[in-house]
Formats: sequence, structure tokens, C-alpha cells
Amino acid sequence: MSPEPEAAAAAPLSRRCPRLGGPVTFGYCMGCEPGGPCLKVIDCWWETFDIIGYLQDHLPADQFQSLMGARPKPKIAALVELIEKIRKDGTI
Amino acid sequence: MERKKIFLGEEEIPRQWYNILADIKMNPPLGPDGKPVSPEMLAPVFPMNLIEQEVSSQRWIDIPEEVLRIYRIWRPSPLVRAFALEKALDTPAHIYFKYEGTSPPGSHKPNTAVPQAYYNKVFGIKRLVTETGAGQWGSALAFACAQFGLECKVYMVRVSFDQKPYRKVMMQTWGANCVPSPSTETKAGRDILAEHPDSPGSLGIAISEAVEAAVSDGSGRTRYSLGSVLNHVMLHQTVIGLEAKKQMEIAGEYPDVVIGCAGGGSNFAGLAFPFVYDKIHGRQVAIHPVEPTACPTLTKAPYVYDHGDTAGYTPLLPMHSLGHTFMPPPVHAGGLRYHGMAPTVSQLVVEGLLEPRSYGQMATFEAGMLIARAEGIIPAPETNHAIACVVDEARRAKEEGKAKVILFNWSGHGLIDLGSYEKYLSGSLRDFDYPAREIEEAGKILAKYPKPQILKSR
Repeated sequence: MSPEPEAAAAAPLSRRCPRLGGPVTFGYCMGCEPGGPCLKVIDCWWETFDIIGYLQDHLPADQFQSLMGARPKPKIAALVELIEKIRKDGTI
Repeated sequence: MERKKIFLGEEEIPRQWYNILADIKMNPPLGPDGKPVSPEMLAPVFPMNLIEQEVSSQRWIDIPEEVLRIYRIWRPSPLVRAFALEKALDTPAHIYFKYEGTSPPGSHKPNTAVPQAYYNKVFGIKRLVTETGAGQWGSALAFACAQFGLECKVYMVRVSFDQKPYRKVMMQTWGANCVPSPSTETKAGRDILAEHPDSPGSLGIAISEAVEAAVSDGSGRTRYSLGSVLNHVMLHQTVIGLEAKKQMEIAGEYPDVVIGCAGGGSNFAGLAFPFVYDKIHGRQVAIHPVEPTACPTLTKAPYVYDHGDTAGYTPLLPMHSLGHTFMPPPVHAGGLRYHGMAPTVSQLVVEGLLEPRSYGQMATFEAGMLIARAEGIIPAPETNHAIACVVDEARRAKEEGKAKVILFNWSGHGLIDLGSYEKYLSGSLRDFDYPAREIEEAGKILAKYPKPQILKSR
């Protein structure tokens, strides 16, 4: 286990994304969501290297804490939330 | 020669779906205000006829003739006796599988995509939108929409759009408009692209785009479609188990054990719920939903009301949950990565009608390799979870010297997900488990939320 994915710069780390069903690089996981890393970045990479230590070193404290507690939402709950958000945003 | 496959005639496709909500009591999903989610809250994304099915407690619901007409393209699906697997395991068990990989897109997904397209059409909807990752659900909905002359729009995550050309081509061949997400067609997509012009997209962005496309269509002729978790999805999938019961009867056997992989719950529910009905009415049958050891939402998690986010903005739903701090370890079977199980499946576990099992990913791929070499079909990685349980049960039958009858759902083929097998074959997968102590700690955060009433239907 390496302390952090410095090797990624030379040979990008990649794995199968369980949400998408295809290969993605570590860089994708770190930047695919508007707010930063994918919610699953920790559970997808912890077995490969010290992802928690890496995130602690590279993310603001509040974002790190948010990520540590993050998890996917139940679909029906996510849908209701999305509908409300779209209405509040004035998209409709 | 012993009969390997049991077919039904087209006229023998079940005429009704089985609705488990007639036989169990359910805690309602709760909204952000702590009150039950109302049908009106879902009306912007689903047609009311499907919402009525979502909340219906009518036991048997007629399958419309138009849906049966489309089902006949691949249904009834075969029930197959896995003689070669039995031989490979040297077991006295009789192993049967219901093979759902014969559908045009290669999985069980069209069982609900077709009726969803139908009900939207009769409600006056002209266009369905959805999101897709690797494309399994998107291709199922594209196929269904083509059958009913509906427009279909699929927001496919950009990185998958570029990597998985064949799913995209499948959707386009069926007439769907498959665009990479983020797109310029929605505010959600444009906002992302304005800030990150080269964004590879994410499932969250694609869902936002699809829901926005449905909600913001001023004509009211666009709706969103979802392929898992919800009650009406489970309902439509019961055609699998209802067919299987007829086929087992032809085989002159009744299963001692019914097994299915359980992600959002739809393929498991599809096979299992009709047998749950028998169990409720006194039949002896063990029923196992199977999930990854790494994400023990059923095997180890408490049954509580829980939010979907750490801030608690999203509705409370009754479910088996490990709490906000739970971080599931990685697994490689995409369809099984759900935080919460379908509420109906959770309720059946509470009632003791289902006995969940879990397996590490190495065991699932070992089982997948074994059956692929014995029976010849390469399973979808999700299906491998069910097969791992089948292998266990068959070995137990050998130890006990019992000719146990085992039935499982082969939910799809794995020909478009061979990357997972490549990783297994190259040795880059390994097993892991989540320590019980950490699960206990993670669940403490749930203590402040109301507990759903533990209902017993009988």
C-alpha cells in the first residue's frame, strides 16, 4: 500500500467504477462531481492506497468531513429532492 | 435424455402480476417534513397510473394485452436445469435457473421498461427520459419506447458514452436519442459545462439532467423512468417468478430454496415474490436475497427510518441502513451497489420471510467462472452473487445427502461487462469484510431518528 497515488501522475490508476460499470481513472473519481470527488471515492480506493490520508492532505477540512460521511441516496428520496431543487432553482 | 430446458407457450405468459403489497404491511416513505411522501410529490416525474400501481394493495394486477404482445418477443423465458453445474459440484441437488438474458438488451430490465412505456403512453406521455451509466437500463428503455412509438431520451454519463460504444449504438438502433451528459440541453448540464467544459460527467449529473428534462417540459408530455427499487418496478418483475412456478410444475418439482441477487431488489423480487406468496400461505421454502459481504445492508444493518444524506434534507424511508458514517468497501458488480434495499424486500426480511445471505466478491467470481465453464453462459457480475449462494447450497446438500431443489434467477448475461472478468482473471480483485464494531459505531448516528413500527402482517 503506497501512502498516496503519486504513481498516478506517471501511470494513471484505474479501476472499474461500480456506478458506471466501466473503467475510470483516479483523477475521474476526484473530480467528476461539481463539488469535487465522487461520494464513493473512499470505498473504491481504500484497498489500493491510503485514500483517507490522501484526502485529508488534499481537501479542505469541511469537504473532507463531508466526504467521510457521504453515501448514495435512496432513489425515491433523491428524486423528491431533485424535483424540489429544480423548482427552487427556477428551472421551471 | 433428461430434459434440460422447460419452455412455456406464448399463451402461458402470466396474465397478471403479483403485488406483494396486498400481503404485507408497509411503513410509508417519509418526506423532509417527516410526513409520508404523497403521490403528488412524484407526479412531476411519473404518470399517475404508475403512481397508482406504486401505492396499490390489489393482489393481482392485470397485465395489459399490449404489454403481453411485447413480452412475447422474448417471454416466456426458459427455465434451465443446470445439469453440468450439478455434475461439476458432484451434488445430489437439482439446480434450476430462470434465464433472463434472452431479452433483447440481455437482462431482466425490459420486464418493467415495457409496462412503464405502455402506461406512460396511455397516460398521454409522448417522451420518456432517463439516465444511464454503462447503458443497461438505458438500452432496456430504448427498446421499450421503440415498441410503443415513444420518444426516448437517454442521458448517458460522458465517460461511459465514450467508452461503451455498443450500448450507445443499441439505444440509437432502437431510435433513442442518447446524448452524453453533461449536455447543453439542460440547465444542470450547462452549468457544469460552463465551469468545466471537459467534464466527463457523473451519474448524479445525468440524473439531474433527466429529471430536469421531465419536470421542466411545459407541455406535460414528458416523464422520467426508473428501473429499480420502486414498488411498481418490483410488481412488473414478478412475471419472472410466476412463469417459473408454472415451469417448476412441469418439471414435477417445487424449490426448497429460491435465490436471487439483491441490489435495488428488482430481479430478486421478480423471481422470489410469487414464492413468498406461497410461503405466506404455508409452503415450506427458504428464500435468500444475496448481496455483497462488503455492503451488508440486509445481513447486518438495523431497520430504521433513515435519511439519504448527512444533512438530513432528504425524506426518511424505512430501510435496513448502516447510518450516515457507513462507507461500504468496494465491489465490482455495478447493479448491486445500493445504499438501501427496496422497501418491500426490507419489510419481508423484518417479517422473517427472507433470509439474506452475503458473499465476498472473490467467491462470486469463482462461482461465475465455474458456471460459465459448466453451463456455457457468462453471467452478469451481479448474477454471480446468486450463483455463489447456489454453489454453497448445493455443497450443503451434498454434505447432508439431500436431493434439494434449488432455483435461482440468472438476471442477465455478462457479455457487455467483461471488464470485471478481466480484473478477476488478472488477479486484481481481492476480498474484504467490514468489521462489526465499525458497523455498530456507524449506526449510532441513527439513534436520533424515529424508528419505524415493526409491523407483522400475520
